[in-house]
Amino acid sequence: MRFWGLRVGMLIALLLAVSMFTFGAMNLLGDPLFNILGPVAGDTENPENLAKIEAAKEQFYLDRPLPERYVRWLGDFVTGDFGVRFSASGQPPVSEVIKERLPRTLALSGMAMTFTLAIGIPWGVWSGSTTKKGLDRLSTGVAFFLVSIPNFALGVVLLYAVGFRLGWMPVRFDAGDPFWQRMHQLVLPALTLALGGAAVYQRLLRTDMITTLQEDFILMARAKGLSRRHILFRHALRPSLFSVVTLFGINAGAVFGGALIVELIFGIPGIGSLFVESIFREDFPVVLALVMILTAGFVVMNFVVDVLYSIIDPRVRQ
Amino acid sequence: MKLTAEPPMDESSGAVKARRLGLGFWLPMGWIFLIVGVALLAPVLPLKDPTDYFIRPGERPPYPPSADHWFGTDQDARDMFSRIISGARVSLAVGFMTVTMSFIVGGTLGMVAGLVRGWFDRLASFLFLVVLSFPGIVLVILIIALIDRSVLTISVVLAIGGIAPVGRLARAATLSFAEREFVIAARTLGARNSRILFRELLPNVVIPMGALVLLGVAAAILAEGGLAFLGLSIEKGETWGKLIRNGSGSRVLRDSPWVAFGPITVMFLTLASINYIGDYLRDFFNVRETGLGQ
Amino acid sequence: MTGRQAPLLSIRDLKVVFPTPIGMVHAVDGVSFDLEAGQSMGIVGESGSGKTVTAKTLMNLLPSYALVDGSVNFDGRDLRALAAERKTEKHLWGVEISMVFQDPMTSLNPVKKVGEQIAESVRYHLGQTRTAARRQAGDLLEQVGIPEPGRRLDEYPHQLSGGLRQRVVIAAALACEPRILIADEPTTSLDVTVQKHILDLLDDLRTARGMAMILVTHDLGVVKGRTDEVMVMYAGRTMEEASTEAVFSQQGHPYTEALIETIPKINSASHTRLVPIPGQPPVTTSPPTGCPFADRCRYATDLCVAQDPPLTALGNGHHVACHTPVRTPAAKTALAANAARGHTATGLEIHQSGVPIGAVTGGLGEQT
Repeated sequence: MRFWGLRVGMLIALLLAVSMFTFGAMNLLGDPLFNILGPVAGDTENPENLAKIEAAKEQFYLDRPLPERYVRWLGDFVTGDFGVRFSASGQPPVSEVIKERLPRTLALSGMAMTFTLAIGIPWGVWSGSTTKKGLDRLSTGVAFFLVSIPNFALGVVLLYAVGFRLGWMPVRFDAGDPFWQRMHQLVLPALTLALGGAAVYQRLLRTDMITTLQEDFILMARAKGLSRRHILFRHALRPSLFSVVTLFGINAGAVFGGALIVELIFGIPGIGSLFVESIFREDFPVVLALVMILTAGFVVMNFVVDVLYSIIDPRVRQ
Repeated sequence: MKLTAEPPMDESSGAVKARRLGLGFWLPMGWIFLIVGVALLAPVLPLKDPTDYFIRPGERPPYPPSADHWFGTDQDARDMFSRIISGARVSLAVGFMTVTMSFIVGGTLGMVAGLVRGWFDRLASFLFLVVLSFPGIVLVILIIALIDRSVLTISVVLAIGGIAPVGRLARAATLSFAEREFVIAARTLGARNSRILFRELLPNVVIPMGALVLLGVAAAILAEGGLAFLGLSIEKGETWGKLIRNGSGSRVLRDSPWVAFGPITVMFLTLASINYIGDYLRDFFNVRETGLGQ
Repeated sequence: MTGRQAPLLSIRDLKVVFPTPIGMVHAVDGVSFDLEAGQSMGIVGESGSGKTVTAKTLMNLLPSYALVDGSVNFDGRDLRALAAERKTEKHLWGVEISMVFQDPMTSLNPVKKVGEQIAESVRYHLGQTRTAARRQAGDLLEQVGIPEPGRRLDEYPHQLSGGLRQRVVIAAALACEPRILIADEPTTSLDVTVQKHILDLLDDLRTARGMAMILVTHDLGVVKGRTDEVMVMYAGRTMEEASTEAVFSQQGHPYTEALIETIPKINSASHTRLVPIPGQPPVTTSPPTGCPFADRCRYATDLCVAQDPPLTALGNGHHVACHTPVRTPAAKTALAANAARGHTATGLEIHQSGVPIGAVTGGLGEQT
């Protein structure tokens, strides 16, 4: 129990540190007023803008010291009030926009991570145990290619080859139709995100498998007459589980970043593209909220990975 | 049963390898030399001006690759070949600068933390952890959004992102060496910490870190590329990512793919070469992870 | 030895060759034997004699590049043919023929619980449910003499001592009630005190289940009094084959004689020198003409160098592959001649007492 208490405490401390860091960055790098209102902030002549400035000062407690501002913001944030987008007046609150866009990004990321595991693990297991040297060399080459190419380049290549030339996949994401019917449009973008990660899995598992399959307990398992598939997945894969989980955590981080890019290439209106758009529009309440959400998600994901570690390897718990 | 429980008969990875670097090393190395050389020498090479418009009357750009324009032109009739080269200058510069900065700062922080321990170590480790808790690009984008964007600032921000993993590694390597007898011996002889750092630890920590340098350069080039693709890299000038972005609009991509594929190919070859050399050297030195792992 | 029924296992002229960078290694070079149901047999030889490869051939555990010739017949079924079509015969190995390996620490999967590793076979081969299999695993643990079997089921291999681990391995091998159990050096990795217990356990289990057993070992002492028959292998061939008593009381092959001499005797005077066999077993990349043991044999004659001795019957099921079987007139003559000249036909130096010189000085550290 103490073990878990410590972990959760660490998690909360981390989240707080992250929020402080983010808030600090936004408020210390440049004038906060400017960050919130954009060019309007400098314009103290125009009475309308002046009113906005005053309102902003009011809303964001800009006349108060930094620590107090932080605490108040944190309070709002945690209760779901992410503020309003000042740069586009009369717009729905940030939380609304986020709520609308988040499912798409989640669907995309979820699909991508599923693809990564579904492609990467069997591929790696196969390469580590196959005797067909020619195919193995080919697959190693393909994996190397996927690992070296930047994900945005891969996206562009896939978009061109599969989308335009072969016409297999739809090229534009249509936000109009009901969500479930649009899932197949996410396949190409999800693949773009997934293939790089799958190649990393393949490279790791191939090496691990080759080593593990030389162990004596594999010989014993063969002596028991178990099938090849049984031995591969129920015996040989076990020692690699740790690495697989570690990779999962790293991969999740890459997917977070990659989603930004992929949403841009394929025109998917999700959190990623919102993030990039907001940066360009200098819409900082949104940026702040998104950074917090994305990071918090990532931190939680890492925590989940830690939990998985302790489940797999009971020795970690001691 | 066809499980390879025994290593195939001609498996050469276990055998004693010839100590000469083979084609697998020199081929990618050749590319690296080529691209770096061309990038460095660009101002004196007889290249077309990357910002010049080479419009042909009667024809709408972009123009496909030809003898005149080896990589074709983009939508504004600018020569892709020279643009890719000037992009190389920036992308490579960012790559090297980032790695240099993050290794020097991160390495020092990590080594000091590993040697001195105590509150400094705890503070440094916690900071590393906080920075690592941000998904990579998000942190970088956050800071970049708030400042001016030049080659220097981009490199600095990317370096900040890189300090944490490098620092953690340096710390781990230092820790595993600091317990060894030769450090304890040096201490008993009265050596000051700084001396221990330089004379005993540095040489040993550098080796595992060295393997990371190649990886770091590739990662930095990749990161800058991603930022540029999002439109968040340097404001003036070209980088590979920016060029690819330029060529990735639906219509351009569909009708004139060379605009994007030219820079994609060059960037891929560069990254692949770096990765391949990294793999090759790792096998060559037979993965002796001094100080990290077994 | 008894019934008229066909033997359970019948090997005829088995040959196993491995292609290697240094040439074709003839690991097994024409081995034949029969095993009756319920019978126990020992296969004895030094490392490189081909005994383990023979065992692996029976278990279909050879690497894919191994070249096999000869016939292997189990209960009327051609094992080689079955091994080739891996899809049809999924429930033979591990069920009817089972194997126990030398090192229990590495034979068991370190990250899987002990009970699971035993239950695995019955669930896979016999389709039992998890609970039924677990119960059976518990029973097996009890049969192999492990105290508190219920608790042990959930432990990991590293939590058990060497002897207990080997019992677990035996339990796993017996889970599906095999008709033949092959034990490859089952006690070599264990403490001497534990060795006897394990061998006794194997004996008890065998008689209780009416199981046939093949005990593969380099140590003649292990088979003494435990097996019905013994086959002595050298350089991939059978050197001698006889009932266990015959092997110890009236050994026919000089190699067997030398092996027996290497066994320390508990009631010999203290500081009696151990008598090793001089030289090394040959690397069989090119099977020599003549007897493979000739250059380590004290009886070696020119005939031994020139002609490979065939396996001849001495009566009572006792076979020897030798031109000068021990205690025969031919042997006595040969030994006297060799002792007189000071060396054998192959140049092995012989002390005038008849003991090879290398046996006095070589092998076991300081002998002076």
